[in-house]
Amino acid sequence: MILRVTFNKKNYLRYIGHLDLMRVFHRSFNRADIPIKYSEGFNPHPKFSIAHPLSLGIESEEEYMDVDLEYIPAEEFVEKMNSVLPRDIQIIKAVYLEKEESIASLIAWAFYEINFDISEDRTKEEAEDIINTWLSKEEIMITKLKKKGKKKIERQENIKNLIGNLILKEINDNNIIIETLLKSGDNGNLKPINLMEALNRDTTLNIDMDSIAIKRLGLYAEKDKNIYKPL
Amino acid sequence: MINQKKLDRVLKKVERPARYIGMEENSVTKDLEKVKVKFAFSFPDIYDVGMSHLGLHILYNLINEEENLLCERVFAPWTDMEAEMRHEDLPLFTLESKEEVKNFDFLGFTLQYEMSYTNILNILDLSKIPLLSKDRTDEYPFVIAGGPCAYNPEPIADFIDFFVIGEGEEVTLEILKLYKEHKEGQWDREEFLKSVAQIQGVYVPKFYDVIYNEDGTIKERISLIEGIPSTIDKRMIKDLDSMFSPEKMIVPFIETVHDRVSMEIFRGCTHGCRFCQAGMIYRPIREKSVDKIVELADKLVKNTGYENISLSSLSSCDYSELYILITKLMEKFEEKKVGVSLPSLRLDSFSIDILKEIEKVRKSGLTFAPEAGSQRLRDVINKGITEEDLINTVNYVFKEGWSTIKLYFMVGLPTETDEDVMGIKDLAYKVKDMFFDLPKDERKGNLKVTASASCFVPKPFTPFQWVGQESMDEFYRKIYLVKNSIKDNKVTFNYHDPKLSYLEAIIARGDRRISKLILRAWEKGCKFDGWSEYFKYDTWIETLKELNIDGDFYALRNRSLEENLPWDFINPGVSKDYLMREYKRSLEEQTTPDCRQQCRGCGIKGCTMTGGGDN
Repeated sequence: MILRVTFNKKNYLRYIGHLDLMRVFHRSFNRADIPIKYSEGFNPHPKFSIAHPLSLGIESEEEYMDVDLEYIPAEEFVEKMNSVLPRDIQIIKAVYLEKEESIASLIAWAFYEINFDISEDRTKEEAEDIINTWLSKEEIMITKLKKKGKKKIERQENIKNLIGNLILKEINDNNIIIETLLKSGDNGNLKPINLMEALNRDTTLNIDMDSIAIKRLGLYAEKDKNIYKPL
Repeated sequence: MINQKKLDRVLKKVERPARYIGMEENSVTKDLEKVKVKFAFSFPDIYDVGMSHLGLHILYNLINEEENLLCERVFAPWTDMEAEMRHEDLPLFTLESKEEVKNFDFLGFTLQYEMSYTNILNILDLSKIPLLSKDRTDEYPFVIAGGPCAYNPEPIADFIDFFVIGEGEEVTLEILKLYKEHKEGQWDREEFLKSVAQIQGVYVPKFYDVIYNEDGTIKERISLIEGIPSTIDKRMIKDLDSMFSPEKMIVPFIETVHDRVSMEIFRGCTHGCRFCQAGMIYRPIREKSVDKIVELADKLVKNTGYENISLSSLSSCDYSELYILITKLMEKFEEKKVGVSLPSLRLDSFSIDILKEIEKVRKSGLTFAPEAGSQRLRDVINKGITEEDLINTVNYVFKEGWSTIKLYFMVGLPTETDEDVMGIKDLAYKVKDMFFDLPKDERKGNLKVTASASCFVPKPFTPFQWVGQESMDEFYRKIYLVKNSIKDNKVTFNYHDPKLSYLEAIIARGDRRISKLILRAWEKGCKFDGWSEYFKYDTWIETLKELNIDGDFYALRNRSLEENLPWDFINPGVSKDYLMREYKRSLEEQTTPDCRQQCRGCGIKGCTMTGGGDN
């Protein structure tokens, strides 16, 4: 049976990578004695997959994972797992799927909160003005490095359509918090750090790039122009 | 606590930041304000290496079980992290509380390898603790050290406040409790050192001085204060079953060198290989009972979620009830898909049934350590295995489907001739021929034989402690002799850098004057010397010249049996007389049987091997 699970990843645990996170879950399943299913073959692996892996250094309030296991009540799963998981990775919700639809293929959008410092004081209106002017440009280009064998090829990409929205949420002294919905998945993908690089390059905000702290607030699926949570 | 904002800026820029965050399963956090004694445990290499060290897991849990005591970890930051920390002026901190190392009561190093000594200085410097013990005042932690390399403490005597010789389980708690008593009374750093020097196994270098002869050898050691011991007896745990054994292990987030449950099954070794320091200093042999091991394994697997257990010791196939142990472990864990592995196999006691049992699932490569290419030289080093052993075993494993074989050798062993050296090639080729002599349908996989040669480094407290190391030219000549003779793509030959082994030989048998060398080499940028990409041979040689230290005096010189050796004041249990006898026997190509067969009176007290005791 497939259990769809949402979990968070916070504080210092944002510094563990995707493969490390997979190991944390594997060992937590073992410690919690979850009747997880294993792949057949030479080196059996537990069957679970995490949708749209976070980049190293990004916190998250809501990640998705599908787990293949023998039935145990979903509440029992949550309780057992949370007692063995690190305090900064906790399961929020778990629901058995009625029809199987892989979580990875569903995700289309990601919603982020980005916190950063700028070098000089700005009023909210000034900062909003700068951002909105930037967003209304016809094209917002970024340079992507693409590896082709050993060669690295630079490619220009217009990310304008990959930005769902971007709003300035808070501004305090030299610190700004924005929230932004970015395309995320097989049909277009924009990393928040690439967005910030473009914003810094094209505007006069003067962002302290080392101060950027990113948090993923949620992941969304899309159907007929409507976006919705996959759980 | 250190400045978290700075830490965040730094962590974003470094490789594998999880090395520096702590928070792993089974790590312990206590309130720093509430505990009486704060101990920072340091392995002087990166996290990935240090976390694989079993001793860390033992001492960490041992100390943290005590309500008033606390142990946190600190490792050497990798060079990218060090650069960022220096740039942000972020002091070195412990993983658990992110507290400055400087604010602990003790900073304890485990000494596993001589070439990590510059990392100790780097750690002290990053912690803003004075490098020399004489410069440390009350506000700084005591810098202490233990582990196998502490058996010759002299090369780092200037940096370490006191050493602990031998097994740490009991003595560590004695020291920390004594410290707590002193702290609660009238504190005086000097008084504490005087009283800690009374604990068996503790060596406080500043209470002693060394007088040298004109030729640079040691004339005598003198005690500078009244009432301190003139020899330091090592500490030894009598009964492993009743000794503290951790039931938990920290589970790292990132993949480390040994990413699995490590179970110690016994201490000591009975073979008496004459090059092996561990085989001498960890005597006598003491086993944990099968029931205790199974019970602990069960708890460790439950508490960690690991999918592998490795049974560790100096020579795991020697465990007297190995078959019963393996059967019980397999019974318990097979269904849970938990694997069991034996990392240190010897050819002689190699048990076919056991290997079959534990390698049911995975067939990884097999490693054997003949150490020397010829039977004559294997007798000199008392390796105690024959070519027949190797042939029988290899024949068997090929038939069972293994096809990757690694063979470990040393070059530069005492009395070695070119013929012995070429034995490395001969043995590797013999193994290859055995594979192709099998009928075609019985061969499985693609054969790969790897022969690795390291350069022999004579170590203190071995029968070879008096032997001069081979010169570097000779090392290179012999290595190329073998390398150029191997012309078969199924056989690979690897070798260790003789330059590194030369420095290892200087430091391993160094005296107090070597502290200056290590300090100056560090000042000139040496660190992570054990990592080939960071080893700065030229800097070390330049430093020797600058300080007018003759490296050859330490590395290449044959010592007379009468010479006062820098480590003679340490008593490892095994007598010097026994080491001398073994040295002489080696030159006569006489082998000495395994202690289990016949006791040769090594002098160790409390040994239960046949004829042991008062010998």
